[in-house]
Amino acid sequence: MTDFKGLLRALTDANVEFILVGGVAATVHGSTRLTLDVDAVYRRTPENIARLVRALAPHAPYLRGAPPGLPFRWNSATVERGLNFTLTSDVGDLDLFGEIAGGGTYDALRPHAVTIQVFEVECLCLGLERLIDVKRAAGRPKDLDAVAELEAILEERRGLEQR
Amino acid sequence: MREPAAPDPVVEAYKKNLDRSLIRQNLRRSVQERLEALMELQSFAEELRRSGRRIGTR
Repeated sequence: MTDFKGLLRALTDANVEFILVGGVAATVHGSTRLTLDVDAVYRRTPENIARLVRALAPHAPYLRGAPPGLPFRWNSATVERGLNFTLTSDVGDLDLFGEIAGGGTYDALRPHAVTIQVFEVECLCLGLERLIDVKRAAGRPKDLDAVAELEAILEERRGLEQR
Repeated sequence: MREPAAPDPVVEAYKKNLDRSLIRQNLRRSVQERLEALMELQSFAEELRRSGRRIGTR
């Protein structure tokens, strides 16, 4: 199970610049679907990578699905060499993206993000309309199923606003 | 708010199977309540997986 409170606090306490995307962002907007990991787009600056590394280091991040014992080192050099990371940790599974299909980088997504307050922290979550665009761009059957629900949420919200 | 993109027939087909009462119920919750509900669902899914593994090893 994902410890959302622990994970979001670890990232925000370290001032990591990130935006929640994917299934958890869908949950934030009202999705009822089960998602097992946290997807986040992080800003690819050396300072932010250092903050990200510091924030997650106490939580034993490791490559998800990889055999144990690989010489994986969670440090700035590793993050700078890579872009997207599929990790497991003691606060849950976490997918970190330097950029995402249909959405781009943190800086490209930032204008489309909304601030949420949860578990006594403030963090950014991709806005519903942009999230729909990103899911649509992914184009897998499960993403189109998710798009259907997200569009229904948008329709329900608009209905509430008109009342 | 922008206008929605042209309807995708696959997405529209999926929409017909949605339970909108669940969505409306979820929209009445706070963001934190939605994430807490997700954690409960994850926990339930994990318990189901464990049960499945136990059956498989009998």
